[in-house]
This record gives sequence, structure tokens and C-alpha cells, in this order.
Amino acid sequence: MVGIPRGVRRALRLPSSAERLEHELDDEVRFHLDMRVRELVAAGMNEADARAAALARFGDTSDLREYCQSMEVRHMHRMRLREWWDGWLQDVRFAARQVKRSPGFFAVAAITLVLGIASTTAIFSVVRGVLLRPLPYPDADRIVQVWQLDQKGHQNHFADPNYDDLRAQSRSFLALAQVSHVGAVTVVGLDEPVRARNAFVSGDFFAVMGVKPLRGRLFAPEELQVSGPRAVVVSHGFWQQQLGGSESALGQRLMLDGADFTVVGIMPPTLDFPLKVEMWMPREMRPKLPSRTAHNWKVVGRLAPGVTLDAARRDVSTVARRVREQHGEDTWMVDAALVPLHEQLVGRTKGTLTVLMAGSLLLLLIACANVVSLLIARMSARTGEVAVRLALGAGRARLVQQCLAESLILGAVAGAVGVLLARAGVTLLLKLQPANLPRMDEVRVDWQVLVFAVAVSIAAAVAMGIITAWRGTRGNLRDALAHSQRGASASSERVRRVLVVAQVAMAVVLLVGTGLFARSFVRLLSVNPGFRLDRQVVVDVSHSGPQAERPMLYDEIIARFRTIPGIAHVGGVSAMPLGGTGGGNGTFLIMSGADGRMDIEDFERVMRNPERVGEAEFRVAGPGYFEAMSVPLVRGRLFEDRDVAQAPHVALISNSLAKTRWPNEDPIGKVIQFGNMDGDMTPFTIVGVVGDVREQSLATEPRPTFYASYRQRPGYTFAFSFVLSGAADPAAVASAAQRIVRAVRPDLPARVRTIHAIVAGSVADRRFVLWLVAIFGIAALGLGALGVYSVISYLVAQRNRELSIRVALGAKANDIMRLVIRQGIGLAGLGIVIGALAALGATRLIASMLYGVSATDPLAFGAVVVTLTLVATLASWVPARRAARVKAMDVLRVG
Amino acid sequence: MNRDANDLLHGTLDVLVLKTLSWEPMHGYAIAKWIEQRTRGELEIVDAALYKALHRLEQSGAVAAEWGLSENNRRAKYYSLSARGRALLKAEAATWRRYANAVVRVLEAT
Repeated sequence: MVGIPRGVRRALRLPSSAERLEHELDDEVRFHLDMRVRELVAAGMNEADARAAALARFGDTSDLREYCQSMEVRHMHRMRLREWWDGWLQDVRFAARQVKRSPGFFAVAAITLVLGIASTTAIFSVVRGVLLRPLPYPDADRIVQVWQLDQKGHQNHFADPNYDDLRAQSRSFLALAQVSHVGAVTVVGLDEPVRARNAFVSGDFFAVMGVKPLRGRLFAPEELQVSGPRAVVVSHGFWQQQLGGSESALGQRLMLDGADFTVVGIMPPTLDFPLKVEMWMPREMRPKLPSRTAHNWKVVGRLAPGVTLDAARRDVSTVARRVREQHGEDTWMVDAALVPLHEQLVGRTKGTLTVLMAGSLLLLLIACANVVSLLIARMSARTGEVAVRLALGAGRARLVQQCLAESLILGAVAGAVGVLLARAGVTLLLKLQPANLPRMDEVRVDWQVLVFAVAVSIAAAVAMGIITAWRGTRGNLRDALAHSQRGASASSERVRRVLVVAQVAMAVVLLVGTGLFARSFVRLLSVNPGFRLDRQVVVDVSHSGPQAERPMLYDEIIARFRTIPGIAHVGGVSAMPLGGTGGGNGTFLIMSGADGRMDIEDFERVMRNPERVGEAEFRVAGPGYFEAMSVPLVRGRLFEDRDVAQAPHVALISNSLAKTRWPNEDPIGKVIQFGNMDGDMTPFTIVGVVGDVREQSLATEPRPTFYASYRQRPGYTFAFSFVLSGAADPAAVASAAQRIVRAVRPDLPARVRTIHAIVAGSVADRRFVLWLVAIFGIAALGLGALGVYSVISYLVAQRNRELSIRVALGAKANDIMRLVIRQGIGLAGLGIVIGALAALGATRLIASMLYGVSATDPLAFGAVVVTLTLVATLASWVPARRAARVKAMDVLRVG
Repeated sequence: MNRDANDLLHGTLDVLVLKTLSWEPMHGYAIAKWIEQRTRGELEIVDAALYKALHRLEQSGAVAAEWGLSENNRRAKYYSLSARGRALLKAEAATWRRYANAVVRVLEAT
């Protein structure tokens, strides 16, 4: 065994070591016995006795044989393991040498892979943080949100009496709680007044979430009363940032919207519900509303142990139907629905993230295809070497292993760089953070993301290695040897062409997606929002003092804003269009001459008559607002200085409200009652119709809107946005405006934004998706071009001889170029056709995410087809030019 | 013979074989004879056990083996001590001496 190099025994078909061992052992034992016999005979024993004695003396020979054999087997195993390991080391060393020999090739392959791995990993970390990671509450899958369902199956929040019935009659919950919309309060008592996001929650809310205070306590029973002492529980973030993060924060007194509150508890950072809320106040400090149609409350619950989601669904549904039977038309609730809280929070982003994940995986596939193509090309160049090794008896497994070693090195390097890049990418994603994507703060590159990245890298490397080896070591030996001088075999070239076609096809899918998103984004930005986008500056304030102060205060601020040089119009509104906050809507009542002054109860009674009600967004604006926003007056008049508090209350309505509610009448002069919104039961007279404004988002049709004037109805204007329009530089206006607010009321928190920022913010999540898909699409385009280029270059090199013969026979340079380019376009064309067909199917899935563009938009498809054809032409033009330089003489040299 | 004694014998045999080979390369029979003579036959060593020890030591690299011709011109497998075997012998011999001295001290204590 000593002195025979590894592998040679196999190559030379030497007898196996087990047979050899048995032979040798037999010889050795026989020699020993013979010597012993000779000695005994010499001492005078006869031959037969001597042999018997020698055998007895020797002991069990078969035991010895077994012992030696088993030892040999163990030894062989060890040797084989070491041989295998040495093989790997050798392969890795070999691969490393290859890397050193062709760093350019390796760099291209690695960069390609890095792109794929980094994008997949970055997107995966978002998917994981947002979708896959459970909410940070104990048994978070047991927390659900309950909805009222109306006749049309729409989800409504709960009205107080309905909630009380649900709570009394359902059997499925360990705890059930009401949660209000997120509002904002003005906090006074700190260094400077700040606005804090607050929500009202009922007593069991913290039990539902399963969260205990980090410091302090929850609300005490006496605080859960309308007239009890005022207590507030604050978030970890608010405690850290505004209360200094010290123990002394407990018991601190704060003025919240003018009322005196005590901080009693601080929540751990995990509690983030409703999203981004900073203060929880007892729902019980606000009176219950008797109306069954005042849909004010989210309802969350924690399922009782052993109750399945389905059982709980049946339970709430039964309760809801029973309530409907009892109260009939008094409630809109005909059924109830139950949604797990996790789904409730992230359900809407699932589509977006699925699209992004699919996009990044597609990019990874394209990258892998590219690398495989490169590896196969190189493998083909080594066909001769491989054939020789196969002929010498090298196992195919061994060659496969070599390919694997190479692609594993690639995968390891690309994976490592990819993860680093992904980390940077995640930071970038977080910067682009669209406001509507929940839980983005839970996104990070943690060990599970690392495991994912490693798994992706290894999977890609192994797949690439195996495909390469399968193509590279296959085929007829003799052919391979015969062609070894020429390089590639026909079959591996075929594989590379297939890969290029697949790459181009996948790039088409990604680019069509990019095109569609881009088109809908442009469409969206070109939508007329109903107001003119100019250099307006918006100043948001929130006034927590008595509402009677507001008309004079706002008048004064507006008057001072007018003095800023270059400002032409100043107005104000209770909720900025596209601003994302504020704004309520409700049901109003059309008054007839028979109605006298009514109170809320009368209102609720008459409201059941559908002839006399209408629904609209309720806004409070003032003189100057429509001018500042350039919202056109359609008919009648705007608010004027004569519309003071003592004058008859007047209102403007939007065009769509006029058209839907008074299709055949003139709405001007109609008297309506909308006092349920602000508690003032003075009826309104409609004096004008103004243009429609897109309030919620650019993509949402304008909603029927009703405008009152702040001078007459200040109740709804605790949050108020001033709009300043004019030719002045927005930055200068902003600082001047800030100074003015501070001068008028130092304790009034103000925020300044430009109208462009507001519009940009409203499309932030679409821009986010567009950006990412565009990055994927462009990367895919680049990789596809690289694929076409490398395959065509290779073909040109292959056909050098043929081309030079053509030249010798009189072909012109142009003919040669056309020949080569036609080949490149042929390849790309097939890919484009396949990709376009695939895209037709795939884009259907994103139809709901598009705006104003059909999923089969011919322009997007056409643009992609043209772009890819051009890129493919360009990619084959470079090698074609090289081909065109072939000279007739070359045929001799190549010969 | 119980198992412990057997194990003891294995170890013992290894040291004896190494010691024997430290004189010169020998074949298995010569080793057996040499040990018989030195121990005056007091250690009844089964030949099979001796060969097990030899193969074990060969496998672990303490001895090397080579086929050669014996005194009477027969093909025989000669074992010789490797550098590693020499080191092993040194260590094992020291252990053995310590062990034996300890046992002797106990037995001679009164």
C-alpha cells in the first residue's frame, strides 16, 4: 500500500486491499507455524505432533483474520474520507488558481451573483420583518380584530351599544376591548408644547395585547370613569424622547388638550398598537354614545384558550345577527367578521411584498443563468482536458465535485458580499420607508436573514455547479477528444443558448412590470387633484384651547401671513387634501320648512328617512382657502367676510356632492343639518358649489365634500392647516410663517410643509415599489445584455474559420456583421416572445396595484420589446464588429 | 481470563513488541522467541495475540512492515520500529515503570 499514489490502484485495476491482506496474513501465519514446527522437530518431536502443538500454541487463526480485516476496513474508510477531503481541498485550491488566472471572469460572475443575492436578501428581510415575524405580543396569534358587517358586506367599526352587546353575549374571548382612531393631542408641561399621537382604549385593552407596563401601572378603577381623575399611559418612545426616560416621569402632570393628566404607566417598546401611538387614555373617560350607527370603535379581542378562530367567527356572527333581529334598521350591522390582528396590520402589504419578492427571485434566477452560462463556456474551453481525465478513469463524480468547488467558491464570495450589500440595501429601503408599510421598524438583517442568504447562496452554487458539470462532462468521449482543439461541444452551446433565451424572457417580465408601475405612477402624478400644485406652503397647527378663541386667532394668523412678501392668498382648512390625517365624514340631513330647531335625538330619528339624508366629507375651511388652492368656484359664491358667527351659517359643497344628491335641482339655497359632526345644531344654507378635490389619495375618486367656515363653526378646527400661495420662495415663506406663529401664540405647535411634499408623501409607497421594481428591471436588462453578448462573442470565436472562408469567398464586412447580429436578435427575439407571453399572464397578478393602465398595456409591452431588441442588437453588434474584421488569411492560421 | 486482564495484556504486549523491535527489525516468529527467552516463558503469550498486536501497531504507524528473506531463505514479513514507535516505546515504558513501582509499593507495604 505504501508508495502507491492515491487513485492509481483504481486506475491500474490492482486487486483490492482486502484480498491482498488475506494473502499476506496467510503467508505470515504459515511461516510462523513452519518455524515453530521446525524448532519442535529439532527438539525431537515427530512432525504431526509438532504441527498440532504449533497450531495450539498459535491460537485462533480465524479470529486473528477477522481482527485484521476489520482493522483494515476501518483504515480504508479513514483513507477514503481523507482522500475525499483532500479531493475537495485540491479542488478548492484548483478553483482558487482558476480565479487568480482569470480574475475578470470571476469578477463578472461574482458581481452578477451578488446582485441577485443582495436583492433577494434585502427584500427577504423586509418580508420577514413585516409578514413572517409574529407580532411581538405573547400568543400574538390569539389576538383578533372584530368588525361589524353591513348589508353590502363592508366592514364598519363598532358603535357603542353594538359593542356592549357583543361583549355581553360572546363566549369566545378572554378579553375584549375598544380602541379609538389615532388622534393627536397637544401636550403642554414639557420644555415646549408638542403634539402626541393618542388613542382611547377601554380597560381590557392591555389584557388583550398581553402587555404589562414597563414602569408604573395600568389605569385604576376610579380612572375608568367619565368624571374620575385623568390618567395617561405613555409609550416607551414618548417616555424616552419627551419625558427624559427617567423614573420621575411617573406621576408627572401633563396638560393634554387643556386637561390635567397624570402619567401613571410606561409601556415596553414592544407595544405598538394602534400603530405609532404615543399615549393611551381610558376610553371610559368619554361618555358612551347611544347611537348604533356611530361607528367609532375598533374592537380587538384575545381568544379564550381552546377557542378556534372558526368557532369565534361563528360566535360573533351569531351575536351580530341576534342584535340585528332585535334592533332592525337602527343598526347597520347584519353580521360580524373576525380578522387576526397580524393579518389586519399587514394584509394589505402582502401583495406588494409578494411582487417584490418574486421580482428579486427572478433577478436571482437571471443572475444564476448568467453565471452558469459563463461557467459552461469555460468548461467547454476545457473539454479536451476533461475528456483526457475521463479517459484516464477519473470518476465523473470527481469532475462534478470540481465544478461544485468552483461554484461554491463563487457562491461563498458572492454570498458574503451580497449580505453586506443587502445590509446597505435595507438601510436604504428604510430611508425610502413608505408611510403605509407597517412594521418597517422591525426590519433588519438578523441571523435568520443570514441563514436565508447562506441557504440561497448555497442553493444557487450547488444548482449552478451541478448544471455546469452535467453539461460539461457529458457527451461522447471520442467526440470530445476530437473537438478538443476547437473548444465547445455543440450540446453545451445549445444549453447556453437556452439560458440566454430564458434570461431575456425573465428580463422581459421584470421590465414589463417596471413599465406598468412607471406608467401608472406617471398617470397618477398627472391626475388633476382638483387643486393647483404650485409653490404653496402649508402650516399645520393644533389649538387645544377653548374653541371660541379660534376664529379670532386664525383670523389674526391669516392676516399676518398675508403680510409675507410675495404671498397672494392665504386660507385654512381642517384637513389638507392628501395630507393623510384628519377629516371626518358623516350623514347630513336635508331640512324641510316643517323642521324647527332640532337636537341630536331628533336628528337621529329623522335620519332613518333615506329621502332626506346624504353623506359627505365634512371640512371646515374659510375665506381665502379656495383661492389659495385654486379650487374653482362652479356656481354661487365662496365664503366672504360677511359670513361671521352671528350671520346665518353658510356652506359650500363640492361638485360631486351637488351632482349625486341634487341631480336635477339647484342645490344653492338648500338648508341642511350637519350638527352631528361638531355638536352645533345651527342649520347651514348652501351658497356655492366648488370643484372636486381628491382628498384621500390621487388614485381615489373625489368624495362628495361639504365645507363650513371656521368663523361660524370653529368646533371642528382644533387641527387646522393654513395654505399660503404666491410666487415667493417656499423656504423663505416657511421660516417667515414659523416666526409669525411663534409671535402670535408661542404655545401653538406648528409644522410647515410644502404642498409638493404632501403630494409626494401621498404616493410614497407607490414610489417605493416603483423604485425597487425598476432597479430589478434595469439589472435584469443589464444581465440579459451580458448574456447575449457573451454567447454571441463565443459563437463568433467559434465560427472564425467559417467566417474567414466566407470572406475568402467574397463576403463583405457588412454581410458578416449582418449574419452575426441576426443570430443575436434571433436568440433575443425568441426570449422576448416567450417573456411577453409570460408577462401577459404575470401582470394580471399586479393589476390591482396599477392605476390608469391596463395590465396588458400595449405601450409598456411595446416599449420593452423595442428596448430589448435594441439592447440585444447592441450586445451582438460588438462581437459582430470583431467578426467583420476577420480576414481571408485567418483561415490559414486557424486551419 | 476476564476482560480487564485481557486489556492489560494488550497494552503489555504492545510494549514488549516495541521493546523487542528496538534491537533490530524482526519477523513475527523471532519476536515471539525473543520475548519467550526474556520472560523465561513466564508470560504465556498466544501467538495470535502477538500478531494482532503487530498489525495494530503497523496500522497506527508505530512499526513498519516489509517482506524480506528469513535466515532459511523463506519469504517473511519483517517488522521494524518507526520514529513514532520509538517515541511510543519511551512513553509507554515510563508509564509501565511508574505503574509497576506503584503496585510493588502497595504490595510491599506492611
